Amino acid sequence: MTFFTFVTRGLTRRPVRTGLTIVGIAIGIAAVVALVGISRGFESSWQTGMKSRGTDIVVSSMGRGLTPKPFSATVVERIAPLPHVAETCTLLVDLISVEKAEMMIVSARQWGGFSWKNLKITSGRLPNDDAERAVVLGKTAAEVLVKKVGDTLQLETEELNVVGIVDGGAVVEDGSFILSLPLLQGITGNQGKINIIDVRVTPGTGKEALTRLCEQITGLVPEARAVVAGEHIRESQAYRMISAMSWGTSLLAVLVGVLGVMNTMLMTIFERTQEICVLLAIGWSRGRIVRMVLWESALLGFLGGVSGVLIGVVGVKLLVTTPAIRGLLEAELNPQLLVMAVAIAVVVGVFSGIYPAWWSSRLAPSQALHG
Amino acid sequence: MPIPNGDSGWVFEACGLKKQYDDGQVQALRGVDFRIQQGEFVAIVGPSGSGKSTLLQMLGALDHPSAGTLRYRGASLQERADLASYRALEIGFIFQAFHLLPTFTALENVQIPMFETHRSVSERKHRAIELLKAVGLETRLHHFPAKLSGGERQRVAIARSLANGASVLLADEPTGNLDSENANLILDLLVGLRREQNFTLILVTHDLGIARQAARIIEMKDGRIVSDALNKEPT
Repeated sequence: MTFFTFVTRGLTRRPVRTGLTIVGIAIGIAAVVALVGISRGFESSWQTGMKSRGTDIVVSSMGRGLTPKPFSATVVERIAPLPHVAETCTLLVDLISVEKAEMMIVSARQWGGFSWKNLKITSGRLPNDDAERAVVLGKTAAEVLVKKVGDTLQLETEELNVVGIVDGGAVVEDGSFILSLPLLQGITGNQGKINIIDVRVTPGTGKEALTRLCEQITGLVPEARAVVAGEHIRESQAYRMISAMSWGTSLLAVLVGVLGVMNTMLMTIFERTQEICVLLAIGWSRGRIVRMVLWESALLGFLGGVSGVLIGVVGVKLLVTTPAIRGLLEAELNPQLLVMAVAIAVVVGVFSGIYPAWWSSRLAPSQALHG
Repeated sequence: MPIPNGDSGWVFEACGLKKQYDDGQVQALRGVDFRIQQGEFVAIVGPSGSGKSTLLQMLGALDHPSAGTLRYRGASLQERADLASYRALEIGFIFQAFHLLPTFTALENVQIPMFETHRSVSERKHRAIELLKAVGLETRLHHFPAKLSGGERQRVAIARSLANGASVLLADEPTGNLDSENANLILDLLVGLRREQNFTLILVTHDLGIARQAARIIEMKDGRIVSDALNKEPT
């Protein structure tokens, strides 16, 4: 028998209560994993999408919405002549409900722009020109909409032909509905408007030059802001709100976990008052009693953390396959996040055990004689 | 192993020992004086509320006296910093209600005090088995307290009290929860073990029949010692 036997026996004497407490912590930790994982995944999905399009700098005006505010397409004329700018591609990107999909990325691109070039056609073809009333679908978008080459799609009031299915190399690209810029401008009544300019810089442009170019563009284009590709999503108030809500909700879930563990530990200590007094009477030091209680609560936290990570990972995997979300984002469940979640749970456990441990260490051994 | 005595040669020396509760409204001990030698078998008797259990608490360092001095082997017990170590290594406690931990087997219960020593896991287990054999429970090692009779539980408690080789055993009504047959068995066991190991046995009881087995009987009433006499013919 080791000291750890005491710790485990303390928890297994009331298996239902211990189990429910573990479930309580697990739900909190699952919320942390899911919300933070999705929030980070949202950011990384867009970063990967940018990389996949071959974009180095994004010029956009990230307001309160999830998509940038439109501005005049003529802005690009101020950017193209700048040093280090190799190519530009104007886009109008929106999140629109398309047939079965409640929300889908609709990405209209300047015809002939470099953003078309990295799309790998898996079936069909790209539109012949910017006048053709045709769309190509990312492979996930095609699955979500249940469409194949030759089918038609209803976008707002327009019926468009699906001419190709593409592999975009990123979740965001694969989940997109891609068409030529003038077509979407016409359908949505945004003639002459764009909301993103993708900028590709000349090879060999260093990090400092890239930052300087961003500052230069921002100075020339007051209606938008130039940032290194991927970082623009962090500028979005909507993203910041999502991120803050993720952490806020996680914090609440963790707080509930703290109260749950503290309640369980207090219950278990109250029940074992006599036993603890006996342990003190037969020579256990107060320090050993404190360690026993803290180890018990830490073990509760650890078990809850591991269960929570499992529930969170499985839950997120299921969530991102739901039609409402599929193709919009992928969760970023890296080992760091999972280890951090378990560590949070252990800290929650230890923190929750401090008061019960202190309480039990204050018991008088003489109480062992009573009862 | 020889037991080191302090300069005084006494295991316990109490002088003017007092204990009061509730700001002096309850006087549990009203000035108690006595000395106990190594290897003595002392019975403390008296009616309920006479202060005998309070006295046992003082001897076991489970509580502090309000006034007076209590010395253990010549050193003041009140001034001792490591009372947990005193309780773990110097004395063994036997309770009326046994107080075994219900989720631990007999073998595990006996090992509990040994956590305060430097014994390895296997040494703890080996010693616990030896002690349980000594109290006649070698066939009950893996039984939980709920599966043991009252007499068997008290025998486990006796084995537990001897786990760290205590030189003093303090027993609070050890037969109080047992029928007469088991009470006699437990008492015989304690007397036999004391004879073998020469530990000091201080036993609190209200049963004069049990007290008569001791070599010395201290009688208490209203927080005072009313008689302290050698029992010339222990039964």
